[in-house]
Amino acid sequence: MPSSTSIFEDDSKLSRADRAYFRLESALNLLGGIIIFLLVFLATTNVLGRWLFNMSVSGYIDWVEQSMAFIAFLGIAYTKRLGGHIRMDILVSHLRGRWLWFTELVSVLLMLLVTLVLIYGSSLHFWRAYTLGDSSLDIDLPIWPAKLVVPVALTVLALRLMLQIWGYARAFRENAEQPVGIPLIEDAAAVAAKEAESVKEDSDQALY
Amino acid sequence: MNLAEYMANMDTIGIGLWITGFMLLLIIIGVRVAFAAAIAGFAGLLWVFTAKYGFERGLMISIQMAGTIPHSKVSSLALSLIPTFILIGYLAYYAGLTKALFEAAKRWVGWLPGGMGVATVFSTAGFAAVSGASVATSAVFARIAIPEMLRLGYDKRFAAGVVAAGGTLASLIPPSAILVIYAIIVEQDVGALLMAGFLPGLVSALIYGGLVVFLATTRKDFGPPVRGFTWKQRFESVPGALPIFAVVGIIIVCIYGGVGTPTEAGSLGAFIILLMALRKGMRWKELRSSLMETTKLSVMIFSIIWGVLLYVRFLGFADLPGAFSDWLTSLEMSPMMILIMILLSYAVLGMFMDAIGMLLLTLPVVYPAIIALNGGEGVTAADSAFGISGVGVSIWFGIIVVKMAELCLITPPIGLNCFVVAGVRPEVTVQDVFKGVKPFFVADLLTIAVLIALPGIVLWLPGLMGFT
Repeated sequence: MPSSTSIFEDDSKLSRADRAYFRLESALNLLGGIIIFLLVFLATTNVLGRWLFNMSVSGYIDWVEQSMAFIAFLGIAYTKRLGGHIRMDILVSHLRGRWLWFTELVSVLLMLLVTLVLIYGSSLHFWRAYTLGDSSLDIDLPIWPAKLVVPVALTVLALRLMLQIWGYARAFRENAEQPVGIPLIEDAAAVAAKEAESVKEDSDQALY
Repeated sequence: MNLAEYMANMDTIGIGLWITGFMLLLIIIGVRVAFAAAIAGFAGLLWVFTAKYGFERGLMISIQMAGTIPHSKVSSLALSLIPTFILIGYLAYYAGLTKALFEAAKRWVGWLPGGMGVATVFSTAGFAAVSGASVATSAVFARIAIPEMLRLGYDKRFAAGVVAAGGTLASLIPPSAILVIYAIIVEQDVGALLMAGFLPGLVSALIYGGLVVFLATTRKDFGPPVRGFTWKQRFESVPGALPIFAVVGIIIVCIYGGVGTPTEAGSLGAFIILLMALRKGMRWKELRSSLMETTKLSVMIFSIIWGVLLYVRFLGFADLPGAFSDWLTSLEMSPMMILIMILLSYAVLGMFMDAIGMLLLTLPVVYPAIIALNGGEGVTAADSAFGISGVGVSIWFGIIVVKMAELCLITPPIGLNCFVVAGVRPEVTVQDVFKGVKPFFVADLLTIAVLIALPGIVLWLPGLMGFT
């Protein structure tokens, strides 16, 4: 079920920054995906090992718990860039031009504010674990890396939000029709058309 | 009295109402749900602690408290199930299951009146269950099933309707990510919820199937059955569709038999589908795309979870859920009427909002009220308002509310499944699809009524596991 979002591009500084930054976000998101993949292998090995050889992976629960923060946070900026965090767009989808860009700008500014708060708060949380040397219950894995990933990923998100603020501010100033670097709102019909398109592409590649 | 004093002196329920109103405002102006909840939660904590300790200390305490939540709430063993279920969905797409499933269903049930419709119902149900993706299932089957049905002379609207409706069977039959999310939010056993969804999901599919047979026998020129398959041909079609049964079977056996945790079951399922997809020619490009999409969807879900739990942390100080429960239980209306009103409001809300966001946002307040309405958490079936124990109600309500949320995928104005089917098939309009799903919509209402009247359908399997 591949999906894509329309984000206009041109050769402006903003659009180039957007695309360059997207490469970093994609890499982090892929890393999250690889961790999910490893989690699947770990759990499969654990359960098959127990069934077949009466042996389980040492510290299985610790590994799973520690991996969760990486899965949940590494892709957070990538998801934001593609407009993947859900929202209710019943109101904003009716706005046009400056009203729309202004509302979006306010929305992203608020998100940035709470992200900054959380970066500070989660850094403190990490720092406590790091200085106290907290470790997991079963096999004494250090906990701080999983706690560190939260402020790091949120910082990546904060920079993405700043890029979007730039994008919306520019769209507002220029009253742009096709602004670059920001995800655009799509109504149900457009989402459906895209979904239909992706199904077509895949079946053409004979994946069934 | 100035504003600061007024705010400092407000009672906690008042603060709860203001903050919740603020959150709704943020959601209406289009702030991403996860962040709207987090902003409101933090603002609420700041308000409560500033009133208690003054601004500077209050700010520091709220930052520290808020800062622990994202990490601590997602680092849970129970949540690790979600990415495995999502990965199954994306891999299933590449594993060649859709056509094989449809072919098998056609050979086995095609002889029934309206046979192609019945085959479509069961194959969409199977694929939707495993992929967990309603909309994508409808999109895929619109390409596979509709052309065949049209070729055999089936009514265009009906053919489109059955595909759109069939997709909604995704959320009850295991693996179901949305039931996992429900279980985690209401702190109920994940396995119990997954098992509870199985029979209602099956009943839904059977009701759909029965409806097709009924329509085919009562209407003229509806569409012919497909006969002439030998038993040999039938059995030959089974292996291709087997991974679907394997995934559902593994999850049920692991959880019901207690031989594996839900995450292990999900991982094993993903592993099998992965092998299948590799055999069907999936390579790094497709695997990479599956992983990227799985991570994106997982991140989306986890973000709402920690965002909402930040808001819930604040609610713990404001006791809004308690006040809401008190108000609901004091109403001069039968508990069943209140339950139905709540379900109807979910139907309305679902027209504007994604099911996961809707459930996560509302459950922290609505769920305690449902439990209170029934007579409390520890109530026995005999003393309760709905005739179901406290544990039973938490499972039963989950199944009904999830079924309700899925219903919104085939109702106007959003009805995404209908738009998708119309998008894939140029020969059908959105209006055609909405007309075609009408009988299925009625069938769904019937299913919900049956599940409300006969909670045993939901509670039988969890009951056998000891959740009574």
